Amino acid sequence: MIETAEIKDKIRKFIAETSFVPEEKVQDETLIFVDGIFDSMGFLSLINFIEDHFQIKAEDSELLEENFESVDAIANFIAKKQN
Amino acid sequence: MNHSSKKPFSKDILKIDSPHLLVDELGRKLKNDIYGTLRRKGAVIGLSGGIDSSVTCALTAKAIGPENILGLMMPEKDSSPESEILARKLADGLGLKTIVENISPALEGFKCYERRDTATKNIFPEFDPVRHKMKIGIKDSGLYSNLPPVFHITIIIENGQEITKRLPPDEFRTIMAASDFKQRSRMSMLYYHAERLHYTVVGTPNKHEERQGFFVKYGDGGADIMPIAHLYKTQVYQIAEYLKVPKEIIERTPTTDTYSAEQTQEEFFFQLPFEEMDLLWYAYENNYDTGDVSKVMDRSADEISKIFANFKRKQSTTDYLRMAPIKYI
Repeated sequence: MIETAEIKDKIRKFIAETSFVPEEKVQDETLIFVDGIFDSMGFLSLINFIEDHFQIKAEDSELLEENFESVDAIANFIAKKQN
Repeated sequence: MNHSSKKPFSKDILKIDSPHLLVDELGRKLKNDIYGTLRRKGAVIGLSGGIDSSVTCALTAKAIGPENILGLMMPEKDSSPESEILARKLADGLGLKTIVENISPALEGFKCYERRDTATKNIFPEFDPVRHKMKIGIKDSGLYSNLPPVFHITIIIENGQEITKRLPPDEFRTIMAASDFKQRSRMSMLYYHAERLHYTVVGTPNKHEERQGFFVKYGDGGADIMPIAHLYKTQVYQIAEYLKVPKEIIERTPTTDTYSAEQTQEEFFFQLPFEEMDLLWYAYENNYDTGDVSKVMDRSADEISKIFANFKRKQSTTDYLRMAPIKYI
């Protein structure tokens, strides 16, 4: 199992590359949707990315702010699913 | 902003006190812009049988006379037959010339249906476009969430059973892009007739479509004048009553009329009934206090704040649609 820091790094890189926002602007606690970094399309891409890269399945009922609002939240969600 | 000059927020705040004055004013502007600014002889308008195109057409007819308008009906194989029937009823009532241009062959040429159906089959291998219907939309309302809505695809199979799945990003983009051929083909046809007749194209988006980005860039977003783009939907209905738009059109639920399965605009995009959305959008745009709005709308101040955030996100993420081409000088 990969470390949380590595998960966060992969997510941050994906968000930065997909949204064309500099990586340093995507901090662990940055609210990626509230701050307008990601839209609907970005959200779908993000779900697809974490399902492919971390071999988890995000159910519709799990598409919540607490699981997706920031790099921190996403990493916690992935860790929870992997456990 | 001087808050003291703001009208207190109420459910009647968008009510047009004198529809005849507004219609006269819009008529003067249309006449001036068609003949003066654009120097064209008349107007071409796409008629969908919906409330927005009907009001736009009735307004324009009142402004420049029905004899100077060409109404275009542009059905394709997924269009509801009711759309053309209602569009014809409006045109006959106003006494304007119409042409029916079936755009299905053009769409076949663009492989619109084939591209969309192939993407649909990637998700549902059992999908048969001849026997089944499909639509895309937002499954659950994310109105109070700071997350953007997630689009789902639904197919309706023989026994009426609906099967829904979340749309993967590649298929979502492909289905949207293929479907947008419809609006862009209609825009091409409108401009064909406009150029042929030396007319202008009068577009039909209302305020929500324009501000929230519910239009196709260079599709239904492509026109020379958009006379109702500043009007809220309930105001469009109020003007429709005044202009005596046929009752069946006023009573018809707004649909996308784009996918083979029936789908309302609320289900596809807006997530709120128009009556509520109008008031909330007005409050959002005019910076009303969420507490004041909450009392009128029977929702908590927290819910109102979340809806405002939702509006803000929709507006900012669709800025690209409203942008003119970037030019370097």
